[in-house]
Amino acid sequence: MKEVILSGKGITKSFGENIVLHGIDVEIYAGDFTVIMGSSGSGKSTLLYALSGMDRLSGGQLSYQGKDITNASEKELTQLRAEEFGFVFQRTHLISNLTLLENIQMAGLIGNLSEKETKLRADDLINWMNLNGAKDRLPSQVSGGEAQRAAVARAAINKPTILFADEPTGALNKANSEEVLNLLSSLHEAGQSVLLVTHDREAALRGNRILYLEDGAIISGLELPIYAGKDRSREEKLSAWLEGLGW
Amino acid sequence: MLLKAAIKKQKGSIAQVFLLVFLLSLCLFSALTIYMSGLNFVENEMRRLGFGNFTIWVSGQPEGLEAELESIPGVDHVLSQPLIFVDYEINGSYSDNEGQLLTYDGSVPYHFQFADGTLQPIPEILPGTVYISPALSSSFDVQIGDTIQFELTRSSNETKSLTVVGYFADAFMGSSMIDMKSFLINESDWTEMKEVITQTAEVDVLGRTGAMLHVFQRADSGLSDLDFHRQINESTDIPLYTEFTYGQQSILNYMLLLQNILSGFFIAFSVVLLVICLIIIGHSLSVVVEQEKQDMAVLKAMGVSGSGLRGIYLTLYGGTVLAGLLFGLAPALGVAGLLARAMVSSTGLLVAVSFPIGVVLPILLGLLLLFAVFLFLRTRKILLIAPMQTIRETGGGKRITSALRKRFLGLDIALREIRSGKRKYIAICMISAFLVLFLSVIGRMGTWLGSNGEGLMNTFSVADHDLGVQPFNESVPMDEIERIINWYSPIQETYELAMQSVTVNGQEYTANVLNDTKWFHVLSGKVCDGNSILITDTVANEMGLTIGDTVRVAANGRMETYTVSGTYQCANGMGSNIGMSLEGYSKIGDITGYIWCYHYILENSSMRDYAFVYLQEHYRGIDVHTNSWSGLSGIVFVMHTLIGIIYLVATLFILVSVALTASKLLQSETGKMAIYKSMGMSSGRLRLSFALRFLIVVIIGTGIGMCFSTFFGDPAIGRIFKMFGIGEFHSGFSILGTILPMLAIPLLFFIFALVFSAKLKQVSIVKLISENEE
Repeated sequence: MKEVILSGKGITKSFGENIVLHGIDVEIYAGDFTVIMGSSGSGKSTLLYALSGMDRLSGGQLSYQGKDITNASEKELTQLRAEEFGFVFQRTHLISNLTLLENIQMAGLIGNLSEKETKLRADDLINWMNLNGAKDRLPSQVSGGEAQRAAVARAAINKPTILFADEPTGALNKANSEEVLNLLSSLHEAGQSVLLVTHDREAALRGNRILYLEDGAIISGLELPIYAGKDRSREEKLSAWLEGLGW
Repeated sequence: MLLKAAIKKQKGSIAQVFLLVFLLSLCLFSALTIYMSGLNFVENEMRRLGFGNFTIWVSGQPEGLEAELESIPGVDHVLSQPLIFVDYEINGSYSDNEGQLLTYDGSVPYHFQFADGTLQPIPEILPGTVYISPALSSSFDVQIGDTIQFELTRSSNETKSLTVVGYFADAFMGSSMIDMKSFLINESDWTEMKEVITQTAEVDVLGRTGAMLHVFQRADSGLSDLDFHRQINESTDIPLYTEFTYGQQSILNYMLLLQNILSGFFIAFSVVLLVICLIIIGHSLSVVVEQEKQDMAVLKAMGVSGSGLRGIYLTLYGGTVLAGLLFGLAPALGVAGLLARAMVSSTGLLVAVSFPIGVVLPILLGLLLLFAVFLFLRTRKILLIAPMQTIRETGGGKRITSALRKRFLGLDIALREIRSGKRKYIAICMISAFLVLFLSVIGRMGTWLGSNGEGLMNTFSVADHDLGVQPFNESVPMDEIERIINWYSPIQETYELAMQSVTVNGQEYTANVLNDTKWFHVLSGKVCDGNSILITDTVANEMGLTIGDTVRVAANGRMETYTVSGTYQCANGMGSNIGMSLEGYSKIGDITGYIWCYHYILENSSMRDYAFVYLQEHYRGIDVHTNSWSGLSGIVFVMHTLIGIIYLVATLFILVSVALTASKLLQSETGKMAIYKSMGMSSGRLRLSFALRFLIVVIIGTGIGMCFSTFFGDPAIGRIFKMFGIGEFHSGFSILGTILPMLAIPLLFFIFALVFSAKLKQVSIVKLISENEE
């Protein structure tokens, strides 16, 4: 049986009068590459940030590794972000006056790594992400793909329990998207739990568990085998499922 | 619509710019109002009360002196005001200086009383009552209803007691900078006292009669003040009777000294505030343009012209500056009035404040023009925004190569931010440098002044001493007095001083004669001997003398030629004095009379006041004084209050400056802060790092300010003080002047930055979400 690392019960989120999430029950399992799909405005990013503790819930309960973190203090949440969670955003959100390498190292230094560990791990990630040529450049001096790869490396440096990715390919061209998704898949393959939010079918194909969100509620789920490269039957299964949902 | 939107978006910055300009305006116009009102008030009062081009205080009133003066070509007329010079005692304290008694019969309502802080004519002075200068209330703690005893005779201890019924504006002698004080009394009391004095034997009498001779120069005389005065001294016997002489300008300087120092420093402070205002507004505009660049580019792409956009910001900031200036101007009159009332016990005058429109208006227009030009130049960047290029811009950064350390991550981030955003921090650095420079200068002044006014004491006294005793007759047991002083504290050094009236090249000055010339504070050249004299910088400037020049010094009808051996410091009489040796003075004056005051330097200076009180209470026929004067405590209070106010305004300015710059920086870095938070950096750590940026930059600014202060502080204050006859200024090292600004300014910036960065707590990572969902 899969270990539940993140669990939400009756998650509600509203902004004023506007209710975005309607009492969602969801569990995220260790080792899964979970994808939350949905059309624009369905509330998928809101759900991601609610599950990651980045945003407070309007209602419901949130547990991380069995511990209720619904009303966790700012200090506890900060510690979670520093040591347990990793984030990749749609816009890379790298620190503009740090080089790509420093951006990656920064997360390690804020987190639980020593200076030495940070250096070694950052160098490994730089190699892995094929960023050697760009590591000493500032975010404004590199391509979108390189910047997003650095962002993935930054999210991964602390070997987080779960890596949250919010439309990480949304601002990239096809080739760069492919590279970033490959990295996420590689990380997953290496044991990293991933929770990805996307409306891109190609990105969704990387997941082994896909949840479909519509009007603030999860209306369906799909289990797929672990991604192991392009697979026609996998694509067809996803397409059929999405067609069934009126995608 | 765009203006409305800009106001809504920039309301915080606008409010803070308004507050800065308001403070600047209030400070500047209050100081100008005090300065101009004081000047006009004293000038008018002197004119109204009949002060001549100069006034000679004479002892006795020889027959025909007025007529002799009026016969001199160039003299228009002479007004004589009879006086009685007499010692007095208030609330058990003896004055160490004579008072001058004036009569008032109400025929010319030229004196005014202070009632409820207003000026009103004195209707009548009843027998047995007296009006005094408010300066006495600070030096003797006099209240209305107290009694003043005027000492008339020695052997019979005859005194005249008068009850204080009010205060009056004494435009000639009212300031606490002047030792001699006027007392306004009923004519019958005055006549009664005069009779006692004139009928008592010379050896027994304590009071003296005299007069103020107000000499008016003819409009067509064509002589300078100096030459006119010299002509009178050389053409008449007046030097034989003269106690002292003051020209209009000297009296003005004396009466307005405190107000001028106070307003002068406030005006200088306002200039510093103006520079800081310009720096902050410049900084604020740069950040606004940077932040709004994308929106402006879009608006430009939509067809809004660059000059139209510039107009919005010109209107916004220009309107704020105008409002700040006008709102600061409005209460300036009230603040000036409050300051005038607060200083009454030191200045001796309740200055009727009024707006000096002729001065305020041009300065206001000048400031507006300066701000307009500044804003016009600072907004030119808006014209240079190229729509598409700006829209495509992704925001850059500057590569800095230095290792990030886990332990010092907050510091490393702060250093990175400073180095990559240098321009943003130059403003803060400059502000701190200016503030430290100015506050350090103020602190230096405070150090020099000392907690009890030691700086002023030493500057105004001829030579250092703790206690001075001048016997007036042979019955004074000086041996016994010295034994008593020794009982309080061993006497370390002693020397003798005589202050005698002389003329130098026909110009009247006080000669400070010492039997041991090493005690003179020589500034340049060498100490005087039997053939030479020392002069002050004031005398050197007035008479165009330099070291090596020869001068004719006369007294008691005898004249000798002396060489100027050097300059020395003594601000007494606004610096109108010379220094002579006993040998030198003996050539022209009588050195055998009771002119000598014995000066004592004690091993334990803190005992001087006890010895002073004992001697005053137990001995008659002597004048005892310390190296101080009765009004000094009031002056020291005013100066310390001035320093306190400046520190307070500076703190307020730092508060607003930090609020403005910090909010702008935070506004521009919200995204970055959210990223750091998303990586797990706590709000507290981010705040500390943010405040550290201010601390680092301000420490650099402080260093610059302190360097400037070290090299230019003393010369700058010295230059200002020279105008008041204080020839030399050395502040030295002190906690107040050196350490306090060095520590306080960075600390205040740091603390305020920490406080204002509390906003970081509210920085939500959701901001990143919303950007994603756009």
